[in-house]
Amino acid sequence: MDFLNALVALSNFVLIPAIAYGSQLALGALGVTLIYGILRFSNFAHGDTMAFGAMVTILFTWWFQSMGISIHPLPTALLALPFGIVVTAMLLILTDRTVYRFYRRVKAKPIVFVMASMGVMFIMNGVVRFIIGPGDQRFADGERFIIRARDFKNATGLNEGLAFKTSQGITIVTAIIVVAVLFWFLNRTRTGKSMRAFSDNEDLALLSGINPERVVMITWIIVAALITIAGTLYGLDKTFKPFTYFQLLLPIFASAIVGGLGNPLGAIAGGFVIAFSEVTITYAWKKVAVYLLPESLEPSGLVQLMSTDYKFAVSFVILIVVLLIKPTGLFKGQSV
Amino acid sequence: MSGNPYQDDRGNKDASIVNPKGSGTLVSATGTGHEMHTQEAFLIGDSMTGGYGKSGPDILHDCTIAVDKGEIAVIVGPNGAGKSTGMKAVFGMLNLRQGSVRLGGEDITDLSPQARVRKGMGFVPQTHNIFTSMTVEENLEMGGFIREDDIQDTIEQVYELFPILRDKRNQPAGELSGGQRQQVAVGRALMTKPTVLMLDEPTAGVSPIVMDELFDRIIEVARTGISILMVEQNARQALEIADKGYVLVQGSNAHTGSGKDLLADPEVRQSFLGG
Amino acid sequence: MSQSLRTPVLFFVVALLFILEGSTSFWVFSGSWNSSLAILNMALISAIMALGVNLQWGYAGLFNVGIMGFVALGGLATVLISMPVTHGAWSQGGIGIVFGLLVGAATVIAAVLLHTRMAAGRSRTLAVLGTLIVGFFVYRYIFDAGVAGVEAINPAQTGFLGGLNPGGPDNYKAHGYMTVLAWPVGGLLAAGAAWVVGKTALGLRSDYLAIATLGISEIVIAVIKNEDWLSRGVKNVIGLPRPVPYEIDLQQSADFVARADSLGLDTTTASTLAVKLSYSALFTVVLVALIILAQLSLNSPWGRMMRAIRDNEVAAQAMGKDVTKRHLQIFVLGSALCGLAGAMMTTLDGQFIPGTYQPLRFTFLIWVMVIVGGSGNNFGSVLGAFLIWYLWVQVEPLGQWLMAVITSSMADGSALKDHLINSAAYMRLFSMGIVLLLVLRFSPRGLIPEK
Repeated sequence: MDFLNALVALSNFVLIPAIAYGSQLALGALGVTLIYGILRFSNFAHGDTMAFGAMVTILFTWWFQSMGISIHPLPTALLALPFGIVVTAMLLILTDRTVYRFYRRVKAKPIVFVMASMGVMFIMNGVVRFIIGPGDQRFADGERFIIRARDFKNATGLNEGLAFKTSQGITIVTAIIVVAVLFWFLNRTRTGKSMRAFSDNEDLALLSGINPERVVMITWIIVAALITIAGTLYGLDKTFKPFTYFQLLLPIFASAIVGGLGNPLGAIAGGFVIAFSEVTITYAWKKVAVYLLPESLEPSGLVQLMSTDYKFAVSFVILIVVLLIKPTGLFKGQSV
Repeated sequence: MSGNPYQDDRGNKDASIVNPKGSGTLVSATGTGHEMHTQEAFLIGDSMTGGYGKSGPDILHDCTIAVDKGEIAVIVGPNGAGKSTGMKAVFGMLNLRQGSVRLGGEDITDLSPQARVRKGMGFVPQTHNIFTSMTVEENLEMGGFIREDDIQDTIEQVYELFPILRDKRNQPAGELSGGQRQQVAVGRALMTKPTVLMLDEPTAGVSPIVMDELFDRIIEVARTGISILMVEQNARQALEIADKGYVLVQGSNAHTGSGKDLLADPEVRQSFLGG
Repeated sequence: MSQSLRTPVLFFVVALLFILEGSTSFWVFSGSWNSSLAILNMALISAIMALGVNLQWGYAGLFNVGIMGFVALGGLATVLISMPVTHGAWSQGGIGIVFGLLVGAATVIAAVLLHTRMAAGRSRTLAVLGTLIVGFFVYRYIFDAGVAGVEAINPAQTGFLGGLNPGGPDNYKAHGYMTVLAWPVGGLLAAGAAWVVGKTALGLRSDYLAIATLGISEIVIAVIKNEDWLSRGVKNVIGLPRPVPYEIDLQQSADFVARADSLGLDTTTASTLAVKLSYSALFTVVLVALIILAQLSLNSPWGRMMRAIRDNEVAAQAMGKDVTKRHLQIFVLGSALCGLAGAMMTTLDGQFIPGTYQPLRFTFLIWVMVIVGGSGNNFGSVLGAFLIWYLWVQVEPLGQWLMAVITSSMADGSALKDHLINSAAYMRLFSMGIVLLLVLRFSPRGLIPEK
């Protein structure tokens, strides 16, 4: 019984949140890795684009809510998501046309793209705050829980309750669908293969008749979808605040690098590695420990390895450790 | 520092933000504005003079390279003679100041390399000539990217030409041996069903046995009516299979003739074939 | 325009902007010298940060996106040096904290030693893991007790170790020179952190400096925010001593009042101006000294070598230059400048507020300064710092003016009008992005390019 209780506590506070967070990071890291692989730079505007995508979705959600449209028990944001993706994709293509395309024409070095992405980051940052403000925004509606802690306790007779939030369930399911579709696209379709070819060898892709501009445009559209979904899910699961999204840049970059930059599979693995280490290291293990250890050994403190404020430190340390052991990341990335 | 301020990266190679791997270097050449027409051939780079970049020194001087249908033409010469440059000029990767390139009688001097591919030219670069992270079959599929029709037959033909590739079809091309990679590279270029196949040192870095086999395959390709234009280090072996040979010295035509004639020419033997 | 003419003309234009801000209240200018000097003081500090980044990026092509962390370390140094020691803090836990940290450091060193000395295998893994785990718990045990002791001391006022100011809690403000002593210490602190980061990130097969600096700066901020025993965390440290006189003291000095009178200024204005001017003078001395040093180094054999490495690393390596070591050197130097500037900034603020450290303001804005000014050119970075900081401040009134113009035809009280006017502040971020993109595109070498 104690073991079951410990297991439930573990799932409730570690496994489920980490899987949900990992899925969000993985989606974000996939975007970073795609841009790194195809446009060949790390996009500093990623976090703010994520905020933009989530913001558009939120605006649509509010609009739908005001009109009384809902898909109860699911959150209205899911309905607004496609609209958010379309607007974000249009914004990214516009950014590419006005900013990045010029640098491709003059064959600028990737570092110039990095600097340009800083400029884009400032602009997006300003735009998002200009439109929706810097504060917290709530937009979640629908059923809050798939499993309520109390129902779980009543049903199983355990001391520990297991709460499974709708947002977590949606996050996990959506992430699985998105990743499956993305991999099918990259590995099975002609267009997807042409993107991989372009990432592998630009000149040869050109000689094979692959149109770089088309590859780049499709990349931005995919990135818009990934990032809007990731941003919306994160906002549903936690909260929407522009600055939080900006700060997600570090764990997202760390995920992509840990997994191996330029490698989509790595981005997913990296996302979960980072999420699990963050959650396990900053979790107060006392709750689990009291069930597993005999009373005499019961810990007095919280058994928290590090305070939650250090979660960025965790992603960073994991990153360094992985790079020291495997310089190309867990999966072979392009950054050798 | 290069003249282009956008290409100044201050030696930065920070792998967490930039990914130079596989990035493009291909620059399309500009037209010449100075046409030349000295002879006829199926594919001809006629009296070409030019060099890299807008103001780079001339590497080619009035150099002519031509190949007829179903023929094998080979460019040989000492190191730094401009062999590869000559081929790149034919393919539109060099700024020409003088000369014309014609394919099947049509002037293609002003076309970009990509456009030349659509006109029926296949090109196998010396290095980076396959998609290393993709499987053999995907390499072939990408080779046929511009084709609207069914490419399955052509893939079959490539597999018949290079049977080993059929066995390795699902392996990443980067994991193959040097000779097999070259086969993938040639196969990829054949996927567009080109009328001319240009090979830049296809046997560089492969063993002599593999080289002989590659040459056999190239002859087979030529028999199907595809013209072959090839740059080779292994001059003797290459000239043996060549219908036509060009010996370049310092960017100019030094000797031109059939492969047999050149092999027999005492001067050519003396200077380039080691006696 | 030739470059020899371009530099002074551009500097003159920027100087004119500051003069306009001080002298006229036309358009977005405030007409207050006080405001003009306030901008100038922060611009001087920003210029030092930009010099540091230019050292790294311009001379060596190192991309540092953790400037904020080094700046914050400098600020921390000011607290640690210029504040008085908290009474009883050392006896009630300070020793424990230091001992705990030593145990932590010893654990890491022991683990690294075990890793290098022992043969690879399961026993090594176990030994290293065992050392780390045991060491960690011992460290937490000692350290936590110490922290609890220190933080329990009058948490509303102190609750931290305090600094080295000899004046004691009652008289520490008399020892204002301690803040100036803290500046080089801030540089050293940042240099130490940079050494650790650079050693790790530049030593990897391909360098990962950008992500490493991004990470370390977040960590520094997290430490400063959470380790209350160190600098009171988010409870902030206020009332830092000053290297320059206080306004109130000046106003009470008969001598000063008389002099202000003779200049035709009222005493209050004169005192604030005098204080700001003193800061400006101090900062200018440091900046000028650093520019001279930077220029000398740029033209020294060392500077030539750095540029040789930057322009052709392979050739430099072939000539026997240890590229990684040189990169580490310049990275540490540049970060030290950021730390120094950070210490100066905290001195100017007179308080240390961890919550104000934002990457956009302290990392990316400095990058805008360097790129706009001209990477690789010291004068360019300084000019960029002055110009961009000026814009950063002035865009706000400009944004309000713009919004007022745009909304002038709208009905009062309309939601859109209110929203637009309230959001004018975010124009600042937006316009910095536009400036960066415009310069990057149309003048990619910056306003004053490298020769």
